[in-house]
Amino acid sequence: MSTPRFDELIHAPTRLSLVSLLAATEWAEFRYLREHLGLSDSALSKQLTTLEQAGYVTIRKSFVGKRPRTSVTLSSAGRAAFDGHVAALQEIVARSGLTVLPGG
Amino acid sequence: MTEPGTTPASAADALAEIHARRDQVVTATLIPHWYWPALGGLIIAFTAAVETHRPWVVAVGSVAYAIGLAAVVGRVVVRHRAQVRTSLIGVHGAITIAGYVLVLVALSVGTGFAAEAAGLAWPATIGAITTAAAMTATGLPLMRYLRRVMITRPLGGGR
Repeated sequence: MSTPRFDELIHAPTRLSLVSLLAATEWAEFRYLREHLGLSDSALSKQLTTLEQAGYVTIRKSFVGKRPRTSVTLSSAGRAAFDGHVAALQEIVARSGLTVLPGG
Repeated sequence: MTEPGTTPASAADALAEIHARRDQVVTATLIPHWYWPALGGLIIAFTAAVETHRPWVVAVGSVAYAIGLAAVVGRVVVRHRAQVRTSLIGVHGAITIAGYVLVLVALSVGTGFAAEAAGLAWPATIGAITTAAAMTATGLPLMRYLRRVMITRPLGGGR
């Protein structure tokens, strides 16, 4: 159970979507994130750099055959921040009496 | 805790977005529907090759099975550009997968022995056909079930 901690860095709309995708993965390729978020290379790079500077993600560059591959992982600090942010959001919603149902 | 300018409605929207993105990851990383009949076909062909008891057929069948399996699994792996978080499967999901595999093995072995006891030709192949049919029929429902298990897990570290 995480301590509620609202995180403004994560809460920005694009970064919330990005971190939410990463939170559901062990790792994700740059191309995967770009396609699922509908961002340009530069826009995604900018968001990832912001998260990397905060210590929330780890970016690894490698080669698969001759193809360069960039994979992104949510760090333990990033996962803790995300869990705290989710707890904070849940607390705000719970106080108001609203409910959020998971999709299915 | 600070929550500048965050209304309950916008917090609910943010949580809905988090759920939607998780669903997106889970759905995109599930095993595709064609995998099950493809794997079933390979198992049937390999078993039938072994059951001919002709060394050259067994050799050709083994090599073809290895190549086919590598192609099928490779195609699934290559199209994955993200690895779903293993903790989303949870104990319930892991038990379901283990149980599914055990049932398939029991079905194959049980049907094979039953066919042999009944004096039928190609008993192991009959067992493999039964298993392949079961996999083809239940692979997609299994994926749907696992998807439901993963997307309904509590968000944020198991709360």
